[in-house]
Order: sequence, then structure tokens, then C-alpha cells
Amino acid sequence: MQKNKQNTFSKLVEPHLSSLYSTALRMTRNQRDAEDLVQDALFKAFRAFGQYKEDTNFRAWIFRIMVNTFITAYRKAVKQPQKISFDDMEEFFLFKRLDETVSFQEIPKDDFLDHLFDDDIKSALENLPYQFKLVVLLCDVEGFSYNEIAEIIQAPMGTVMSRLFRGRKLLQKYLWDYAKKRGYVTDDIEHA
Amino acid sequence: MQKNGGMLLMTSNMHKKKHYNCADIEHLAQRYLDGQLDQYENKLFEEHLEYCLPCDKKIQFEIKLKEIVRIKAREQVPEEFIKNRLRNMLNDL
Repeated sequence: MQKNKQNTFSKLVEPHLSSLYSTALRMTRNQRDAEDLVQDALFKAFRAFGQYKEDTNFRAWIFRIMVNTFITAYRKAVKQPQKISFDDMEEFFLFKRLDETVSFQEIPKDDFLDHLFDDDIKSALENLPYQFKLVVLLCDVEGFSYNEIAEIIQAPMGTVMSRLFRGRKLLQKYLWDYAKKRGYVTDDIEHA
Repeated sequence: MQKNGGMLLMTSNMHKKKHYNCADIEHLAQRYLDGQLDQYENKLFEEHLEYCLPCDKKIQFEIKLKEIVRIKAREQVPEEFIKNRLRNMLNDL
């Protein structure tokens, strides 16, 4: 009986290990904690497996357990950025900044994204406050719908949408800062 | 119960329109990028993009950025972690 439960659980979990690990790594920012987080989450999920209803969304269910595990056990250990200003957080933030500095750029705007380093993207993501990072990862990287994310983080849909909006704009602001630091663009034109 | 009143209100306002302007595109961009517009909203959104090059360029840029984030944020699980720790753990449950 126990062996059956174990086999069923293993089969359901296996296809999602890569996604779980990837998300855990971005959330905890180091390999060791990410491995511990995935292991803790799977252990909890197995213990709660009786509550999982067959043929419902297993992927969202297992992510919800990992997110809860992260919030209760790992969140405090992750360094959070200092106070963040959202004053500049308009739609198309990065595109508009690039548009304003077009004459100063060494590379065409359309190629800008191709010139970003993997590390810049990873670092921009990892530096987001965890509430924003989580929804950006769940939506943009894992492809969950707003409804699924609302279920996973146990928050209303409006919260999901506003965190996504803020998270993405902040991500764009960080990418813009990296681009300036690396000299891809110059910020000679101050935007209003 | 899911609280999505905000989205329903937004949807009903957007259904009163026959065409979208650039401000509407900015307002709905996030939901368009995430495939969360309904059929009517999606149709008007894409109609606007067909004749408005500046909006189309912004949306194409956002689509590309989203795709790049998706690709670059992904991480392979270390084989050893799966082989040594996870398989053992799953067997010992």
C-alpha cells in the first residue's frame, strides 16, 4: 500500500523536478538551500498526498507546498533589498528609456535584449523582493495562469496582477541599471 | 472563493469600446502578454497593433523580453542531486 502511494507520488513529481529546482534556486539564491527547499517540499507533499485530489492540477499543488515551505522556513534567511521606490514604474519602462537614449546607444534598440548577459537577467530576477520575484517566476518562467498563481500564493487575483506589474517593472529598471553600468547605453537624457 | 472582481470590472469597461486607443493598449498590455484577455479584448487589441506601429513595437519588445527571461532564468537540476538525494529520498518515503 505504502509502496503504491510512493510510486504514484514519484511518477507525478518526476516531470516537475526541473521546474521546482529552478524556482527554488532563484528564490533562495544558492544551490544548497535550493536543494534543501525542494527536498523539504517533496517530503511535506508526500505526507499531505492523501489530501491531493486525483486528476486535479498536481503541478500547482506541489508548487503551492514549495512556496509555503519557502515562506515559513527560508524567507527570513534571504536578504531583501532596502526600501524600493515605485514612482517610475510606468508600462513599457525599459522600452521608453531606450527610446529616449536612442542617439547615444552603441547598439540598436532591437538588439539590446540580445546583448544582455545571462548573469544580468538572473541577477535582476534574484534581486527582486521575494513577493514580486515569486509571481514573475511563476508567470514568466513557469507559465502558470493568473488563476493558478492566485491558488499557489493564496492571494486574490488583483494582488497577483499588481505584484506582476511591479515585479516586471522593477526587473526592467534593474536591467536598465545593468545596461548603463556595462556601458551599453548612456543616460545623458534625464527623463521627466 | 477567487476574488477577481477587479478583473471583471476592467473587462466589462473594455467591452463597451469598439476600438482601442494607445492608452488602452498600455492599460491591457500585461494581460495581453500573459494570454489573459478574452476573445473580444484580444481582437480589438491586435486590431490596434495592426495599424499602430509604435504600440506594436512596444508589445514586440515586451514579448521578446518575456521570452528571454523565460529562457535565461531556467536552470538545469544537477544530475547528482536527482540521483543521490532525491531518488534516495523518494525510495525511503
